[in-house]
Amino acid sequence: MNNSITEELVFETLRQVIDPELGCNIVDLGLVYSARINGASVVVVMTLTTPGCPMHESIAQGVQTALLGLEGVADVDVQIVWDPPWHPSMMSEQGRIATRVGNI
Amino acid sequence: MEASLPISAAASAKRARSAVGTGPGANAPSVTVPLAFILTGLIALFIGVSWLAARPTILATYHYNQFVIAATHLFVLGWICSIVMGAMYQLVPVALETRLFSERLAKIQFVFHVVGFIGMVWMFKSWNMKQVGHFGCLMFVGVGLFVYNIARTLLRVPKWNVTATAVTAAISWLSLTVTAGLFMAAGKCSYDSAESITNAAGVTAIISCLRSAGAFMSHFDALSAMHAHAHLGSIGCFTMLIVGVSYKLIPMFTLSEVRSKDRAVSSVVLLNFGLAGAFVTILLRSPWKFLFALMLIAALGIYGIELIAILRARKRRALDWGIKYFLTAVVLMIPLSALAGVLSWPGLPLTPFTGQLENLYGFLGLIGVISFAIIGMLYKIVPFLVWFGTYSRHVGRAQVPALADLYSEKLQTFGYFAFLSGLAITGVAIVLANALLVRVGCVFLAASLSTLALNVARMLKHFCHPELKPFASRPASVSIHPQ
Repeated sequence: MNNSITEELVFETLRQVIDPELGCNIVDLGLVYSARINGASVVVVMTLTTPGCPMHESIAQGVQTALLGLEGVADVDVQIVWDPPWHPSMMSEQGRIATRVGNI
Repeated sequence: MEASLPISAAASAKRARSAVGTGPGANAPSVTVPLAFILTGLIALFIGVSWLAARPTILATYHYNQFVIAATHLFVLGWICSIVMGAMYQLVPVALETRLFSERLAKIQFVFHVVGFIGMVWMFKSWNMKQVGHFGCLMFVGVGLFVYNIARTLLRVPKWNVTATAVTAAISWLSLTVTAGLFMAAGKCSYDSAESITNAAGVTAIISCLRSAGAFMSHFDALSAMHAHAHLGSIGCFTMLIVGVSYKLIPMFTLSEVRSKDRAVSSVVLLNFGLAGAFVTILLRSPWKFLFALMLIAALGIYGIELIAILRARKRRALDWGIKYFLTAVVLMIPLSALAGVLSWPGLPLTPFTGQLENLYGFLGLIGVISFAIIGMLYKIVPFLVWFGTYSRHVGRAQVPALADLYSEKLQTFGYFAFLSGLAITGVAIVLANALLVRVGCVFLAASLSTLALNVARMLKHFCHPELKPFASRPASVSIHPQ
């Protein structure tokens, strides 16, 4: 088990992955629900702003690429889920500013 | 379902698992086919508007002449159909969460489409109806391939919804439109020269079909048939798609949702019934066409109410210019509907003034509503295609631009106001039958299209010169694997 990989590090790394339509990273958008670390394996449970999002493939692949770039990560499993559905209230303050989404 | 992804040489030893392969993004075809259609459409639009500016009498005189019909087919087939077909190959799989049936068929269709519409426009201009029929057959084959491809794609849709219903209706009406067009062309040809080659059974059958089609069309007057044919395509295919697809795209882009499925469904159903009735009553010159015009106006009214509800519930307050273009086009449906009401009034005399109102109706419908809406959506589709083709594989490896960074918002804004000005000036000029003013209006429209062309060029430039930047700072313990 590699102790250097933490949930915080995973989330911080995923800030490098953006939703190009909204121009904001997926963490501040509230799309990443959880990151489970088991040794060198990372399981990311996340969603997208809408089913049928045309960026589905790009974003999921970006998550894998970003996390596989972390030293000590050998296996990434990205699980796209629709329950609970994403809602703008899941966005961080930075996310709302970046996307000009109003108060929820 | 899991799929392995070839991330990089260095990372290939690592395991990457996800549901990527099953996602809608994976359903989109390559960007080549949609872009080929879109670029063809933009060239046709630019040529069309330039033609109007060079020959403004096209809009300043009554519309039953070869130049108006040629220009109309350039706009409808060259511009609108090209964009609609390219966009549908991209959007239908994405919006309906399925996979395009065949990209190869789409490529073959592109050839039939381009040769067919160029030939048709050229031959309409020369008023050679026999050749119009021949090139129309190529177009017919192309449309057949398109309809078959989209229909097979629709059969794969996992969850049927109002957008799928609208797309199904649109391709059905498109088939009828093209068939009606071929019937009209057959009705304007003579087959005397074919008498000497009717020995072969196949040729005899074809000539017999053409004669029958021509005989059938002789029951209707040419002007009514032309108007019915035009409504079939512009409402049945284009307006139907604008309404149906926006129920998916507007909530997606504004972070909202359809507020009333009943309202959405009823707008599409009414649009279909209204069009069926309008087609028959226009063709027969029946006074009942007013009733069906009201039905169509009601359908658009319900659509407008639902769109307002969607926008009121949106979480993304600021609307980008692409959406503003689209919504302005929807607002222009109001004067268009008013004109439809006036022109369908029973017993309305055909005077030079009402003739110009008919020109205005066609112009406002094709350029004001449909083209403006399409340009708005192009500002969503083209950046996506370019981004997807250029940057998709770099996400997570380097800083990639957002879609809005690919084009100039200033140019887009200027284009919006230039287009609106062009519409207003040309609209007034058409009513006044003033050719000089039509030219001025078309110059504004051409200026607007120049901004669109510049922005499209800026976007396409990213294919050759991607703007990738290294991440400013990466979290601790991060090492980038060589690509």
